[in-house]
Amino acid sequence: MSIAPVIQLEQVKKSFRLPGGETAAVLDVPAFAVAEGEQCALEGQSGSGKSTLLHVISGILRPDAGRVTIDGIDITRLDEARRDRVRADKLGLVFQQFNLLPGFTALENVLVAMSFGSGKPDRWRAADLLAAVGLSHRLHHKPAELSIGQQQRVAVARALANRPRAILADEPTASVDAAHQGQVIDLVRGTCTEQGVALLLVTHDPAIAAQFPRRLRLEEFNRAAVRT
Amino acid sequence: MTLLGIAWRNIRQRLATSALTALSLALGVALVVATLVTGAVVKRAFESGAGLGYNMIVGAKGSPLQLVLNSVYLISKPIENVPWGVYQDFLPAARRADGLDGRYAGSVATAVPICMGDYFRGYRVVGTNAVYFDRLAPGGGAFRFAAGRNLRDDAFFEGVLGASVAETLGLQVGDTFAPTHAADDGPEHDPFIVAGILARTGTPVDRGVYVNMEGFYLQEGHAKPVADGDGSSPAAAAHAARDPGTPAALPAAQREVTAILVETAAPAGMPPELMAMGLHQTLNEGRDAQAAMPVRAIRELFDLFVRPIELVLLLVTALVVLVSAIGILVSMVGSSLERSRDVAVMRALGARRGQVLATVLLEAVLLAVGGGLVGWLLGHGIVAALGPWITANTGVPVGLLSAAPRAELLLVPFLIILAILAALLPALAAYRTDVAKWLG
Repeated sequence: MSIAPVIQLEQVKKSFRLPGGETAAVLDVPAFAVAEGEQCALEGQSGSGKSTLLHVISGILRPDAGRVTIDGIDITRLDEARRDRVRADKLGLVFQQFNLLPGFTALENVLVAMSFGSGKPDRWRAADLLAAVGLSHRLHHKPAELSIGQQQRVAVARALANRPRAILADEPTASVDAAHQGQVIDLVRGTCTEQGVALLLVTHDPAIAAQFPRRLRLEEFNRAAVRT
Repeated sequence: MTLLGIAWRNIRQRLATSALTALSLALGVALVVATLVTGAVVKRAFESGAGLGYNMIVGAKGSPLQLVLNSVYLISKPIENVPWGVYQDFLPAARRADGLDGRYAGSVATAVPICMGDYFRGYRVVGTNAVYFDRLAPGGGAFRFAAGRNLRDDAFFEGVLGASVAETLGLQVGDTFAPTHAADDGPEHDPFIVAGILARTGTPVDRGVYVNMEGFYLQEGHAKPVADGDGSSPAAAAHAARDPGTPAALPAAQREVTAILVETAAPAGMPPELMAMGLHQTLNEGRDAQAAMPVRAIRELFDLFVRPIELVLLLVTALVVLVSAIGILVSMVGSSLERSRDVAVMRALGARRGQVLATVLLEAVLLAVGGGLVGWLLGHGIVAALGPWITANTGVPVGLLSAAPRAELLLVPFLIILAILAALLPALAAYRTDVAKWLG
């Protein structure tokens, strides 16, 4: 029996209108899936549509055609508010620049994410998540009072706030120096393994991609990228 | 974490801008509250004068408004005096030396003379008789005494103090006070003994120093000069007479009154107003005196001065609040760039558009409520600081707790609506934030 995919894309197309009025196709993905608990590195050149793919998977952008299924829910049939709810409940996002909310403490950054999910914000669980990434002593520090590495840990803890089925990480090592990149990847992968969460990590660094059991190049399954 | 908590943290994140916005709002609200409360207090002061125990004032020919201001509110200057005979015209046979009814006695239920022109430490001294306190309380009937008793006809050198006078000057029953003639720094008269202190009425009566009219007449300069008089000073006569126990009253020929407070009679089935209108017309057609209807004069005063001033003040305060609202708008638009990134992050974390819109609106409401609360306290502080001055000029006690309840209650929803309107633009911008663009 095959493992059910947490993320599944079928015949997904997405294009953007350029300022001149022309249309540029960015995504044309006949099929793509990430299975439950699977860890997958996605490589691609700059402008190949990696970020657009993540935005389509997370429901931030709606594809022009095709179907995107998250944990069995076809989000392309949902209105925006429902897609937002699926994103909050089923997916955790880790950004390039960490994107922590600067006015909120580490604990509050996790609690904010919880407040958008279906469950009730739970301070103890938020503190546990931060403790799990080694930040039990930095709960009440704001991002500006944390090191880059610590900020990244908060971002990972925040992504796990609502017990997601998958984490989408968009080049999480881009702002980290080479010496710490390994630590960040270990943290994200280790945490996902521990929590049984699938991971789709976008990177342009072959050395990082090489650490993953499944390694894909966007150009391999995005026909629009091949055309460009 | 609730949306309110998120809004509060957003405010804290931009503490300096938020504090300045709230402060500007607080100053605007303070001005509005101070204006509203002071306006309400002054209005109440004038309205309290309208609830008198009499419906007509008879005095010397001149401005009816001046007659009312002087007799009712104890402000402005007395016009002139009217002859004692005019007062006698209102008295029934039993109270007249000739045993005949006065010309207007049939139209009158109560007529009380008042004599003015003296002062005591900034307060007006009013010479009158015991009937004033027996019959002319606001709404009719007798005044309540907080201490002591009413004037007695045979105790010429007694006085009754209004509540504010006794409180401010710390005078008690049994103390003495010496009025001054014509001005605060005028020559000092004989001392009077405090016989009673009135309970507070919230009317200009609280600011009055009332003395027995007989004693008032016996003071230096109060007797009308008569060509064929015996040349002796009435005050000297009083001094001479007081020790043996029975002072000699001033002869009628030497008496005048400043005004007569009249409550017209209400014969069976006829309202007192109708009687008052007839008497008013008769008196004003005569040469000796004029009659003024205090309620009418007060209404004219309102229409002439108070309402236009009220309108201007309201316009000014509306502008101040509008400026404060623009302050909120400017502050929130100014921080919208910074906000866009945070909004995009929140949306990526699963926040619905409605939630980010509500967060921005709540932020504005919190600023408005916070600034409004500080401004409200500040406004009442200003009123409390101005209180002694207002009390001295209107007789209405004003303090930290003085309020214009209806207007102040309306201020809260008004501020919230204003804040929401001001924040609508940045809130809609947050609502429309392009998440993909900001997350890159």
